[in-house]
Amino acid sequence: MAELDEIIHQPLRLRIMAALNALPVSIGLEFARLKKLTGATDGNLGAHIETLARAGYVSVDKAFVGKKPQTTVTATAAGRGAFARHVATLQEIIAGKQP
Amino acid sequence: MIDSQQASAALDDINDVVQRVRQSQIYQIASLIIIMWGVLVFVGYIANYTWSPQGYAIWLVIDLVGIAGSIGIAAFSGVGRGTGAFAIRLLMAFLLFIAFGIFCSAVLGHFGPRQMLVFWPVFTMLFYALAGLWFGYAFIVIALGSSALIVIGYFYAGPALLLWMAVVHGGALVLGGLWMRRI
Repeated sequence: MAELDEIIHQPLRLRIMAALNALPVSIGLEFARLKKLTGATDGNLGAHIETLARAGYVSVDKAFVGKKPQTTVTATAAGRGAFARHVATLQEIIAGKQP
Repeated sequence: MIDSQQASAALDDINDVVQRVRQSQIYQIASLIIIMWGVLVFVGYIANYTWSPQGYAIWLVIDLVGIAGSIGIAAFSGVGRGTGAFAIRLLMAFLLFIAFGIFCSAVLGHFGPRQMLVFWPVFTMLFYALAGLWFGYAFIVIALGSSALIVIGYFYAGPALLLWMAVVHGGALVLGGLWMRRI
């Protein structure tokens, strides 16, 4: 029986992974856009990205564009796999294959 | 463990975010194309005003550069990957739309220069508005805003119509594109 991924299951982290997973492989989202797409606040988003990064589900790249710092978050292969399994488990629950 | 209602709510949440990301991707590409067209038509109107007898040649060059630029932006933009077949269908729809416009304006209508000047921008804005029904309200706002300003110019700008079009049509596209990037 498949288990829900406790790291991804948290609502904001689920939205972050859904957003990153919707992009082609190796394409990431800039922090400000990710914030807008997920409806998160600065501090909230930063903390949850850190949790996902510690789990190896996302990679975080920091660079300077001109004088402005820019943070880009990208789903890793492990993150995409975990997200796909999590979605499959949700679908199994809806289909009644899981208690 | 969660129940099926909570699982369903989580999937709805995922679908909502995926939808937002897709719309955002479309806006990112489309805004670049719209800004480019804004700059091109601004240059076109000014050139047409300055060298009136070369009007058709000027617009032929502007249109070819614009179409090539649009295809280039869509093809080379990283966020557009995986939408190849869709992009080709969209391009085909646009070309059919243009062919119909040529048929109306040159075969059926026999429009004069002033009518031609207004017909094409309003006609292409109709395509934007139709696209907006699928891709998001920003397209509709840009199309309706630009069209209204163009029609006002047609009736009230008199001999300054080309300059009016440069400012309101070119300007509306550039501002609309910049606004679209902020949504």
